[in-house]
This record gives sequence, structure tokens and C-alpha cells, in this order.
Amino acid sequence: MRRIDRSQLEQLCHLAQRDGRTLIGPTVRDGAIALAPITTAADLPVGWTDVQAPGRYRLSRTQGQRAFDFVVGPNSAKEQFFKPREPLYRAERRADGRVGFVAIVPEPEKRALLGVRACDLAAIAVQDAVFVEGAMRDPRYASRRADTLVIAVHCTRAGSLCFCASMGTGPKVNSGADLALAEREHDLLIEALTPAGEALLAQLSSEEASGEDLRWLDESVESARASMGRHVDTRAVHERLFAQLEHPRWKEVADRCLSCGNCTSVCPTCFCSTTEDRSDLDGSTAERDRLWESCFSREHSELHGHAVRGSTEQRYRQWLTHKLGAWVSQFGASGCVGCGRCIAWCPAGIDLTEELAALSTSDARALMPVAAPCAEEGRDEAMVPSPARVLSVTRESSDVVTLALAIDEPRPFAPGQFYQLSIPGIGEAPISVSGRDGAGVEHTIRAVGSLTRALCELSPGSELGVRGPYGRGWPMRELAGAPVVVVAGGIGLAPLREALRQMLADPQQYPDVRLFYGARTPEDLLYAREMLGWTDRRGFQLSITVDRSSPTWRGNVGVVTRLLKRSTVPDAARAILCGPEVMMRFTIQALARLGVTHDRIWLTMERHMKCATGHCGRCQFGPYFVCKDGPVFRYDEVASLFGRDGI
Amino acid sequence: MGVFKLASCDGCQLTLLGCEDELLALAERVEIAHFPEASSRLDPHGTFDLVLVEGSVSAPFQRDELLSIRARAKKLVTIGACATSGGVQALRNGRDVKGFIASVYATPEYISTLDDSTPVSAHVPVDYELRGCPIDKRQLIEVLTALLVGRRPNIRDESVCMECKRQGNMCVLVTRDEPCLGPVTHAGCGALCPSFDRGCYGCFGPKEQAKTSALAARFQRDGMVPVELVRRFRGITAGAEAFKKEGERHE
Repeated sequence: MRRIDRSQLEQLCHLAQRDGRTLIGPTVRDGAIALAPITTAADLPVGWTDVQAPGRYRLSRTQGQRAFDFVVGPNSAKEQFFKPREPLYRAERRADGRVGFVAIVPEPEKRALLGVRACDLAAIAVQDAVFVEGAMRDPRYASRRADTLVIAVHCTRAGSLCFCASMGTGPKVNSGADLALAEREHDLLIEALTPAGEALLAQLSSEEASGEDLRWLDESVESARASMGRHVDTRAVHERLFAQLEHPRWKEVADRCLSCGNCTSVCPTCFCSTTEDRSDLDGSTAERDRLWESCFSREHSELHGHAVRGSTEQRYRQWLTHKLGAWVSQFGASGCVGCGRCIAWCPAGIDLTEELAALSTSDARALMPVAAPCAEEGRDEAMVPSPARVLSVTRESSDVVTLALAIDEPRPFAPGQFYQLSIPGIGEAPISVSGRDGAGVEHTIRAVGSLTRALCELSPGSELGVRGPYGRGWPMRELAGAPVVVVAGGIGLAPLREALRQMLADPQQYPDVRLFYGARTPEDLLYAREMLGWTDRRGFQLSITVDRSSPTWRGNVGVVTRLLKRSTVPDAARAILCGPEVMMRFTIQALARLGVTHDRIWLTMERHMKCATGHCGRCQFGPYFVCKDGPVFRYDEVASLFGRDGI
Repeated sequence: MGVFKLASCDGCQLTLLGCEDELLALAERVEIAHFPEASSRLDPHGTFDLVLVEGSVSAPFQRDELLSIRARAKKLVTIGACATSGGVQALRNGRDVKGFIASVYATPEYISTLDDSTPVSAHVPVDYELRGCPIDKRQLIEVLTALLVGRRPNIRDESVCMECKRQGNMCVLVTRDEPCLGPVTHAGCGALCPSFDRGCYGCFGPKEQAKTSALAARFQRDGMVPVELVRRFRGITAGAEAFKKEGERHE
């Protein structure tokens, strides 16, 4: 630990900008202390402090000359690395006439962050876990983040909305920085935490800190810890929150909540995003942007045109149960670092710590999955499609087609996985693999929105963008050796077809396969001819039903669960299901009566997978990201949430 | 494409003419067959792939005209606060319209008007709505481009705050109690007013799930008196349900 004179701050700012490094530090702007590019110590908020209360933030003059005499302003390091809006790629015609997708990834940037608090260091670590430490790495975040020099500041005073001590993130800086400062009126204590920090410190005029200096630091940090303006009880908070999904407090807070999204925007860890496709009027170029999104917006939970979380009550519950609950299962750490920004910048002054306390009326705990450490080395996922070409188009029904696609440099896929199919300028959608046809990867698509309509109108030779495969597919290994019951509803047969084909091609592993399939009308039955071919295979049973009959229909009429009720299934049977959520719910009940327990049922969850890389947050389902933890789940993994409104 | 107007000031149509950089490209892709503000060559009775409708239904003949336009348009997009919420002229809704007419016009019997000014969607199905007084030029170009390529337009129904925060603005409400309707207002303007350091006055109308009562409670805590609260919500989009109700609550 060394001590430097206040005048050395200028030298520190100077050194931090060497080698073309951009210095980002606190500075007064529009009535608040913002984080922005600065060049000199004179840009720092010398003689300013902040006074915060729920829904209120004010700057106030101090009599002193400290530059770090405030706690946190509205912005954090988040926007330095995860931009509020940025382009992902550009689609253009290549010289050979084919469609090309050009990734837009920033050049590596050199940054120095000055004045970062312990809570925000924890937040950077949380965002690193989301964007670069998982199985898929966001190259844009990584590029901006890789060469960052961090000069942190110990908090020797706590704000009225601070609760880092509860969250275990502060007020003392322990790691995540190159240098740590502690500021007094006339001088600063400074400590190097990394070799880069040591090199920088060596160029400052400093002297060894005295025992008295060290005592001052310890006492100041302890006094900050003892004077936190807010407190939360974090004991098993994730398990307790998920046990309170029906608590009346959600409704109460929704009466005060504006669902404006300010809390999620100022939160230093919130990472949800959406995309927008843009194109020129003449259609010659198209680009895709990524932008900050909030779980308080309707679009965030949109699925087939309606919002899964339609009410503010459901959205607030999603925000809090994710931030303090699901996050722990997803990343092994809380999403809340105790900075208090969401309290100050909420126009309605909703206090997360107060809501949490009100929701903690019981000690009931929900069983939560444990975050699995990333098994594989991270791979870059730029969310840029590869070009693909339509080899053939098969019309399955009036609004369903199967496209066989030739994909450039394909990766192997497993049944139940999905690809992201895109048409430049129109959009992108997750579509399950429905099979393989020679060199072609098949996707069966129903025309429901603008993108799926455009996909259904493609013809052989048409070009599109493809990325994938993504997700966890059907548990082919667990199904082997046991009788398998397959239940499909409507287009839900598509994600099951490749699994069926593989099982039927391997009678030794899969001797007994029974398919129960329900469609709206006889005309909507998919793969009718192929299914007839399957019936020749020994050990395969096919039961089909339709909701509405037609004059020539001689088969079953009614829902698919009625077929099941009339059947028996062999002991130890396993079941795989895909269809509308309500159909799957009743199917699970029917299977339970037939003796198929929850741990022997697998199903596909439907959510809008936007990025497919676990970065955009759109497909969250309780503690899971459907895109990477699913879409296939064993039912007992999701049983406590499945079929519940607004999850 | 046809551009029609009902009861309005013409400002939203003017936004189309204001698309100077894009107009030529637009004219290459779109035949503008009816646009009285821009051309005297008109086709008021034609059929259209796309119709932009400005203005509210304020007089009996406008209702009939609107029904006729809708019948001849494949897609109908309403542009502006009048067409999407009834406009500033909806301030008369539920009041003594006859009294207003008598006090304003020398010869009231010449005036034929409806008691209420209503949005286009109250009379015919609408494919897309562009909010604002006036509409935002980028949103207009976006909806036209999207319809040309067959994409769903990027017309986000989030709060103005989301746009404001993405731009890195400081919140005028939190830093200095400036009454700002941003938290309950539909995005699309690019947080124009807060970017110029003033509060949003809600010209894009309420967003979905607009919790106006929570914002009004905040304004009251900051010392706003009921008569001022009424004025805040009863502005250019006074006819929009959420704002109308909130205004009534403080009357």
C-alpha cells in the first residue's frame, strides 16, 4: 500500500491514457455524475457529492476537494462493453451473386476505467460471466472488454441506497481491478492488485503508507459497511423467491410500477437485448442491430404475437425472481450487486430491498437447479448467419412447408435441436430441425408471421441465412432400450420426426415405439405418406386423431389425450412430447395415470429464442434459458413452473 | 399509395415531404397516386395497396369517407396523434360541444360536427399506427420500408424511458423533479424532449400497460396540484383511454 499526494491524480489520468487508451471516468453532466470519456483530473467531479433517495438523485456541493466523494451515478461500466445499440451484421450480395453476411465486430479497444466501486467491479464480473465465460462468447463484448485497465476506489462512505455489504460485493475492493484507491482530503492511498497496476504505480510519485494510514482505511471501510442505507437478507434468497410466486405483494407492487424499464436500464448487470432488422428502401442492403431491452416491455416476452408476461405484475416478478433468484442458478452468483441504482432511478421510487423484505414472509423454499460450470471451452458466437440455399420445398399442408437446406460448412445436429433461419431485412426465427434429406437439413415451417410466411414462399435455389444448430435435443441415449411413447400435436411432430426416423432405423435399440399424433383436421396431418411407410416396421404403433373431421375421414376424432386414455403403455416406458403447452399438460397427466413418471417424460418448451446463445434473455423460463438449457427438458426439471401463467 | 386526411393540421403528411433524402428512393418503389398536399394530380376514388390516414373523425362526412377509403385500401396505416387517439380536438369529448360552437362561431348553424373526436381505429380496422404530434420521420420510413420488403415494422411499444436511457440522457424527473410523461408514454420519438432537457408531454400517447396513476402519484409528491395534473394528461392525446381516465381522476 502506497500513499500519493492529490496532485498525482493528474499524472494518474495521464498515465492511464498512454498507448491510445481511452479514459472513462466520473464527470458532472446534466445534474448527475456520469461516466464518460475524460482527459484530465480537472474533469473529475471535484467538490461534488450525490444525495440519493427512492426516485430522487441530486448533486450537492461539498466544502472539500475530493474527486470521489459520491457513490454511484446512473451509468455503469455496462454500456462501455455492452452497447445500448450496435450493429451485428450486414447482409449484402457477394461478387458471386450469393447472399453474404458480414459480421460487424469492433476492433479491440483499449480502455481505462477510473473510479469504479466494488459493487460495479462485481457487476463487471457478472457481465463477463454472461457474455464471455459461458459456452458461447460474444465477440463484441469480448473485443471491448479484453484490454481494460481498471482503477477502482474503495468506498469509505456508504450512500443511503447502498447495500453492497448485504450482497457481499463491497465496500472494499478486493479483486477485479488493477489499482485500488482510497481518497482522503489531501492525499490518496493506492494499492496495485495486478502487474499492470504495479507498473503504473511505479511511475507515480508515492511513498509507503504508514500503519496509521492502513488503520484509517480499515476503519473507514468498516464504517461504510456499518452505515449502509439499505439491507437485504440474502440467505437462500433465490430459493425463497421462487417459493413466493403467488405472493400478493406482486400485485401490490404492480400498482406502483410504471413498467418503464428504467431499473433494468440503470442496472449494471441487466443484459437482456432484442434485435431489429433494417433495410434500405431499395432493398439492396440489410442490417441487424442489437439493442438493450427490458423484461418490463411487452415485446420481451412475446411469443406468436402475444406476451407471455402480459401484466406488470408478471413482469415485475420476472425482474426480481431473475435478478435475485434465477441468476444464481444460471451463473452461480446473484444478479444484484447492491448498488441501489434501481431504487434511485425508478420514477416511482420502488425500493427493491423493501419489496424483497415484504416478499420474505415465509421461509418456504423452492428446489432450484444448480448452475453447471461451463464444460466446454467458450466459442465465439457472433450471431451472424451463414449462407444457405433451398434444395427442395415440400408442401405438407395449406400453411406448412418443409425446406431442405444446403448449409455452408454445416455442423452436425441432433434431433430436437434448432436452427435460426433468417431472411435479410425481414427477420430471424428459431426453427427445429425436422430431419435430414441427403445433403439437406430439413425444417418444417408453418406460416404464422412475416418471417415464416416469407420462408414458406421460398423456392428451390432461394438463399437465406442459417445459424446453428443450437440447444439440447431429445435424449436418444436415455430412450434406448425402453419402450418409447411419442406424443405430438400439430406442427409439434416436426421436431420429433428425426428422432422417430432414428429410432425406427434402429429396432435393436428402440424395439417398441408408439406415436400418438393429433392434428386440427385431416388436411393438417404432416408427413402422412412417410408415416404410412413407418407402419410396416415391427414394433411401431401409430395412433392418429384430428380435432375436426372431414367427409372422407374414417379415423379418430378428438384430442390426442383421449387416444392415450384408451391405451396402455408398457412398464418402464419413456415419453417424448411436443405440441401446444396445454396439450402437453394434459398429456403429462394422462401419462402419469398410465404410470409414466415425471422423470421419464421429456418435452420441448416453447419460448422465443432470439439470440440462441444465452445472451439476450428472451427465452428465459424460470432458472433456464430455453435456447441453451433446452428446448428439450426432462419434465421433472420444469414441473414446478410448467403451465403457470406469466413465467 | 394514397395519403388522406380527416380532421388534422396536415403536419404529419408534411413529415412525408420532409423525408428529403429518402423521397427519390421512395418514389422509385412506390407510386404516390393521391397526395393533395404535394400534388394537384389526384386519385381520390382509386384503389390502393397502402393508405396513410391523418386526422381524426370529427365530422359526419369524415366517417363516410373513412369507410370508403378502407374499402379501397389493402393496408391502412394511421399517422399521428389525431388519427390514433382523436388528437387535441378530442378535448371536447364529453363536453358541451353545442356551447363551444355557439361561443366560437358567428353562425353556428353552418357547423356540422360530431360530439366526439375519435381515432380511425374506432371506425375501421387499422394495420399499423404511427403515433406522435407530429409523427417521427424515421418511423414513417421504417413502416414504408418494412411494408415493401414484407417485414413487421420495428415500431416498439415500450416506454420513452427505454429510448432515453439508450441515448444516455440523464433523467429530468429523477434529477430535478421535472414532470415527465416518459414512463407512461409510447416510444418512437427518440426521446426528443428529454434530449433537449425538458419533460415528455406525451404526444405519442400512452404505452401499453401505462400506469398513469403511479406517475400522477409521483407528480403529487413533488407538489403538483390537481388542476395541473389534469392538464398534463389532457393534452394532445387526451382522447387516449389511459390519459383520459387519469385526467378525469384529478378533475
